[in-house]
Amino acid sequence: MNPNILNRNNVNIKGNGEQTMIFAPGFGCDQTVWKSVSESFESDNQIILFDYVGMGNSDVKAFDPNKYSKLSGYVQDVIDVCSALNLKNAIFVGHSVSGMIGLLASLQHPEYFSRLILIGPSPCYLNDLPEYFGGFEKEDLIGLIDMMDKNYIGWATFFASTVTNNPGRPDVANELENRFCSTDPVIARKFAEACFFADNREDLPNVTVPSLIMQCSEDVIAPTVVGEYLSQHVPKSTITYMKATGHCPHMSHPDETIQLIRDYLGEFPSEVVLSLAYE
Amino acid sequence: MNEQLNHAPCGFVTLSKEGILLSINQTLVQLLGYSPDQLVGHHINVILTKSARLFTQLYFFPLVTVQHRIEEMYLSFANVNGEEIPVLINATLSQDTDIQVITCVVIPMQRRNEYENQLIISKKLAEDALKETSKANSKLEKALKDLKENQQKLLEVNKQNEKFKRDTHNELKLAKKIQERSLPETISDDHIEIESYYFASRELSGDIYGCYQINKHRYGIILLDVMGHGISSALITMSLQSLFQRLITKGAGAATNVVIKELDDHLHTLFHNNQDSWHYCTAIYLIIDTDKQTIEYTNSGHPPAIFQNSAGNQLELRATSPPIGTFEGIQFKIETFNYDKGSKILLYTDGVSEPLGFHRLGSLLKEHSSDSLIGLKEKILQSLQNEGEEKFKNDDQCFILIDLK
Repeated sequence: MNPNILNRNNVNIKGNGEQTMIFAPGFGCDQTVWKSVSESFESDNQIILFDYVGMGNSDVKAFDPNKYSKLSGYVQDVIDVCSALNLKNAIFVGHSVSGMIGLLASLQHPEYFSRLILIGPSPCYLNDLPEYFGGFEKEDLIGLIDMMDKNYIGWATFFASTVTNNPGRPDVANELENRFCSTDPVIARKFAEACFFADNREDLPNVTVPSLIMQCSEDVIAPTVVGEYLSQHVPKSTITYMKATGHCPHMSHPDETIQLIRDYLGEFPSEVVLSLAYE
Repeated sequence: MNEQLNHAPCGFVTLSKEGILLSINQTLVQLLGYSPDQLVGHHINVILTKSARLFTQLYFFPLVTVQHRIEEMYLSFANVNGEEIPVLINATLSQDTDIQVITCVVIPMQRRNEYENQLIISKKLAEDALKETSKANSKLEKALKDLKENQQKLLEVNKQNEKFKRDTHNELKLAKKIQERSLPETISDDHIEIESYYFASRELSGDIYGCYQINKHRYGIILLDVMGHGISSALITMSLQSLFQRLITKGAGAATNVVIKELDDHLHTLFHNNQDSWHYCTAIYLIIDTDKQTIEYTNSGHPPAIFQNSAGNQLELRATSPPIGTFEGIQFKIETFNYDKGSKILLYTDGVSEPLGFHRLGSLLKEHSSDSLIGLKEKILQSLQNEGEEKFKNDDQCFILIDLK
């Protein structure tokens, strides 16, 4: 184990069991977003939680603006964590852009993963009409980044945690101490640029690890047509349509999320998965 | 919705956890240009710009779900015509697990937004300026680093130079020793006495002389001054020396013009195809016959030697031809004259005559003709020391005194 990586990425290991599950948070958030979902797998799995460099309680000093200006920087974080923990055949659960990050990591090191579970993934957010509908025009994404600038994510939440010390709401203070979604504005901006302007459509046919695409209803970030595009282009993928609406079903609809993951894992007894992974 | 809330000077909205609009007050409905029926039951995305739809999914819903409250979030709403309305929004999620409702207060901030836009532009300009400054700074730092490296290299080269200089100096010192050792011993017998002085301005001299006893009564004395001084001139003197030594001693006393002609030919051969290294040389060669008491000489461009008879009358042995190594095919003439016992001759190079002056040399010879040759030599050296101008100190100096007894 490499303690530097574990500190750098604020890696937390929980649970009991032979099978390892690694949960990767989506854009702009830290590992606390997984709380409701990951806890339900703790009794029969080993759970790995981590933060990307620059997010949550990771070591901000390790942030290299060049490295993290592309998705490959975050892909390297996943590979580093897997390598530091010597993971083999782990189940990777990634939300939003982390789905793509996990998929790209599996291209470099398929042996780390037995299955990929992608919640609200998208290989490309920009429209490339008429062949591809990603959901957004360039101005929309620039507008998003401007909105992040105006919300000064980071110091605003830090500021809030010091002033909204409301004794009547201890849960609020607690969550803020975990620095949920708090990120240095410069880092958040870099991550946003790396995520939302990426186009990994060409990588999809090379994926060898079996995957589950969890498609939410009415997800403006990753619309159904994007999920379907993925399922058509990623080999050995299964798509499942969720009742949950929005982009964060693991937070808004944890029960459904848990059930669908369990259903999928149940479909793949571990022996079958192993043989598939080494095909 | 109560009347006060419905017409409050701010927008008021309630949402389901999924983002469905449950209620919306009149103030906000009017601001957006819809009627309440058009909005209630629809997703909040209807009244958001596309960027804001993204942002609410990424931040608003996760934050309100985990924190149960949101303060001062900037969003942009879109009115019925799709025009953007910037707003600040505060929200809380009710803790009642049965009815999880998000309650929001919305304050339009068109003017404040303009102000913030200006601030952000200024901030960006300041950041760009800072970036430029730090870029310039790092360039300067690199230049400084390069400079230091170059300085280090220079120091290294300088050290090598110093070593080279030291080595060369030692080599030259050794060469000087060799050059000095090659000078002949002075001659002293019943009929003739010869004294010489030899000083190289640098480590090596372009002056060279030789005095040889050819046979019982005949003596050959030669003095040459190769143009320039230093290593190149010294090398030429050495090559000339080995030649004239052979010609004078082995040639059984070849005539003065024959010896000079051989030296002339030698120089022409040396630089025949090499104009860059061309050197010329002045030379005077005397053969003294003590039996017949005659002096035969050839002066090739050399400063006139001074002859003084026993009565103290002086005669200049002037140049009879141009310096050797200049024009090919020069005819070298011989001058011959008789002397009486007690005569003296002074041969010298321009390194001696220039600081003292030709006449001064003549008068020194006259004034101190009764002194021993050693005494006379001392007097000339003293004069050179006392009266010689500084600017002449860097020329090679050589003179020969001959006492005919």
